[in-house]
Amino acid sequence: MQIESAIAMRAEMRSQGVIMAYNGEISDELMITLAEILKRRVGSEVDPKRSRSVFAVFMEGVQNLIWHSVAPERAAGMVIISELEAELTVMCANRIKKADSVQLRETLVQLAGADKDRIRQLYREGMSKSIDHEGPGAGLGLLEIARRSPYPINYAFVDVNDDEVDYFIAARI
Amino acid sequence: MKDLFIDATERTPAVRFRAESCELSLEGESYPEDVAAFYGDVIPVLESWSESDAVRIHVLVRLIYINSSSMKALYRIFDILDNGRELGKTVSIRWCYLVDDDVMQELGEDFKDRFPDLDLFLEVVE
Repeated sequence: MQIESAIAMRAEMRSQGVIMAYNGEISDELMITLAEILKRRVGSEVDPKRSRSVFAVFMEGVQNLIWHSVAPERAAGMVIISELEAELTVMCANRIKKADSVQLRETLVQLAGADKDRIRQLYREGMSKSIDHEGPGAGLGLLEIARRSPYPINYAFVDVNDDEVDYFIAARI
Repeated sequence: MKDLFIDATERTPAVRFRAESCELSLEGESYPEDVAAFYGDVIPVLESWSESDAVRIHVLVRLIYINSSSMKALYRIFDILDNGRELGKTVSIRWCYLVDDDVMQELGEDFKDRFPDLDLFLEVVE
């Protein structure tokens, strides 16, 4: 990469209000380190409620990224936190199997059209189903994000090849 | 039934179970790296309570942040408590949340909704 490109990249990040950006392999340990930095940056003294929401959304987003990567033993992805006009956006992206994207898309469509009461109802139903949920999670991560964010979750799927897609979600707080 | 004492860490709650008085408390943060391993020490203690001739249990839950994968374990704990109630045991739960923490307040209400027959009392703490 040329320095000129880095300069342009940095200018773009500044104009977008990026306060943290990471792309690459990501571990549980790194997730915690970034979460702690973010917690301090958001200012838990000024607005503890918002700080807790940002922390929770970040943790759920990155946890999802780690668990649902194409190669979970070497999970990789992109995490970008930006803040413009006091609105903070947590963005996570990772590569997933195309087969897994179908269910995910259905869930995201459902959440996008749901009001807060409906999200809460879905969460309650998800709690009951969590016991039977396979894998390390509870199947509640997206619901937790939807619950903590006052706005609908934005998302995108970008085809990579026949078997894989890049998956992006962004939650605003 | 055995006593269980686990000290809190930055990512895991303090867990205390006193077998003699049948008191259980969970206090602190809950986002362990390995949820199954952490709660794998807690759940068998409750199962042995459920199978024992103990007639009651007092539970205190005072959590700050609980990640969604810990929810699966917490739900399992409530499920065991509810089974104990069905067997005729007296179960009382105090669910404490910080004064401005509506997320933990709502979560307490959600557990109440899922387990309507459990004696679950929500309490605001400063």
